[in-house]
Amino acid sequence: MIPLVSPNTIGDAPSVRVIATPPAVTSLAGRAEAAGFAVVAASTWPQSPADIAPPAVAGFVTSSFSPLAIEVARRCLEQRANSMAGTAETEASSTAVIIASSLGDIAGARHVAQTVDAGTRVGPLLFFQCVPNAVAGHIAARWGLVGPVICLGDERSALDAAGLLIEDVDAGAVLLIRVEQAATADEPDRAEAVLLTASAPAHERSRA
Amino acid sequence: MTDAVHLARHPVALRGPEPVVISAAAVASAFGRGVEPLLSAVLDGAPGFRAVRRFDVAQRRVGVAATLPGSPSLGDELDRVIGEACDEAVLSPALRAQSPLYLAVHGDPDLPRVSGAEAGRHGADAFARSVAKRSGLSDETARAYTSACVAASTAVADAAAAVARGRVSRVVVAAGYLVDPDQFALFDAGRALAPDGRVRPFSARRGGLLLGDGMGAVVIESASAAARRGVKPLARLAGWGRTGDAYHVCRPRPDGAGLARAITAAAQRASIRAEAIGYVNAHGSGTAHSDAAEAAALHSALGESAETVPVSSTKSVHGQALEAGALVELIVTLHTLRAGQLPVNAGYLGPDEECRLNLVLAPGQTRSIDYALSINSAFGGANTALLVGAP
Repeated sequence: MIPLVSPNTIGDAPSVRVIATPPAVTSLAGRAEAAGFAVVAASTWPQSPADIAPPAVAGFVTSSFSPLAIEVARRCLEQRANSMAGTAETEASSTAVIIASSLGDIAGARHVAQTVDAGTRVGPLLFFQCVPNAVAGHIAARWGLVGPVICLGDERSALDAAGLLIEDVDAGAVLLIRVEQAATADEPDRAEAVLLTASAPAHERSRA
Repeated sequence: MTDAVHLARHPVALRGPEPVVISAAAVASAFGRGVEPLLSAVLDGAPGFRAVRRFDVAQRRVGVAATLPGSPSLGDELDRVIGEACDEAVLSPALRAQSPLYLAVHGDPDLPRVSGAEAGRHGADAFARSVAKRSGLSDETARAYTSACVAASTAVADAAAAVARGRVSRVVVAAGYLVDPDQFALFDAGRALAPDGRVRPFSARRGGLLLGDGMGAVVIESASAAARRGVKPLARLAGWGRTGDAYHVCRPRPDGAGLARAITAAAQRASIRAEAIGYVNAHGSGTAHSDAAEAAALHSALGESAETVPVSSTKSVHGQALEAGALVELIVTLHTLRAGQLPVNAGYLGPDEECRLNLVLAPGQTRSIDYALSINSAFGGANTALLVGAP
């Protein structure tokens, strides 16, 4: 049986803590494992009260959407060196990047709409971040991930797409990032990332 | 190695065993609703770009696009093309209700201007479910693809993979983009729009892209499912590929290696050699870097065939329909396959050494085609290749 992962223990930790009977699957990692994937690494935002705003990233302005995706991808993939040790080089490099987001970059879209409605010009940098592919490409370039780049509106579809990519060898692994920016001022931004493979590497299974 | 698709060091792409077909297609463009006006324009090489009247472009550097008259509703237009495709495929209400909708869109057009509390009801996924419900498709399994210029082709590839694996019998893939003030402002700000008002793919002195309206819907299903209804497919969806460049936020790899791998994967899944491809509908955005990288990808993937296979980018005629563009172009490609009449690469001014391709530069060229390839690239280094074969 594939264990579920406590949402409180994923993040920068080099390994995941397994709980026996979770009350509910509240994390992307847990839902991915329930869907039959091996979760090689996982991360969340916010992970702690210190997570107020994600680190700024050159070239991305106005909105937290892309910095959130970049930060959870970093937290997730920095675990990869250890957790994917022994994995074939082609599997590690042919990792797909899938971004799942219902509202997308809503802060950026609202800024553009307000600027257009005011009859003024939008900043040129906003052109380069007007689609979620852009940050997916940033992450793929930063981490050398040459698998497919796909953006979907919901997590369930993203997991389904990830499974087919792995089954058909379009990707050896999938970095699935979910970003949901706050739509109102009293909500927090939320983001998660998981690195998925079809089955757990032997050393991961023995650890669990 | 000149007669086979290069494999590089990547593993061979797999697929499920079920043959996949496109049993119906419906489209709308700046030339009107239906495939005939679009085909007439691309075969004549007659661009549809004109001054934008849908919204104010006085503040923009460029003021033209290829648009339908007035301000059509994206939801209404999607409902129409989906209904047409389902009717053409002879899908009963019961079969429609079992069919997932894969919808390629930028998002719900209302989202940027609704209040915070309302936003949750205007996500891309909710928009896809609402379109599916209105069309009598399965709203529970509807999904939205938002992967920019490869959104629709990725949806088609995912649908083909699912059908080939027997996960589903059928998927309705639809896509829509209507030229809007926000995206227009962004592309203008990014200096991506062609200042001379023409899209000139693979040409000397090409200056950028122009936006265009595009809506499309196709029914992708197993060959056996179509046969059970006595429906003769428009084409086989013989192969598909999707890859990433891992190179840059918005620029393609100059050597086209990522796109070449997508083409290779599509050819592998179709089990064909490069010279079996009789026509390429290129992404051909008309921008300097993208066209050169695409030409490099074709040479890398197709070898010597890249010098001779007819190539055109019909964006030179109907414009760049963003998330919907790849579906409009797939529909053009499958009609090219069926009729053997080659769409024109319009706007051409002269050769560019970085784009050594056999471009279709004049109307009236015909050719017997067994396989036709439609390729697309997008921001983030996303690439797709779709290979259709005669039914």
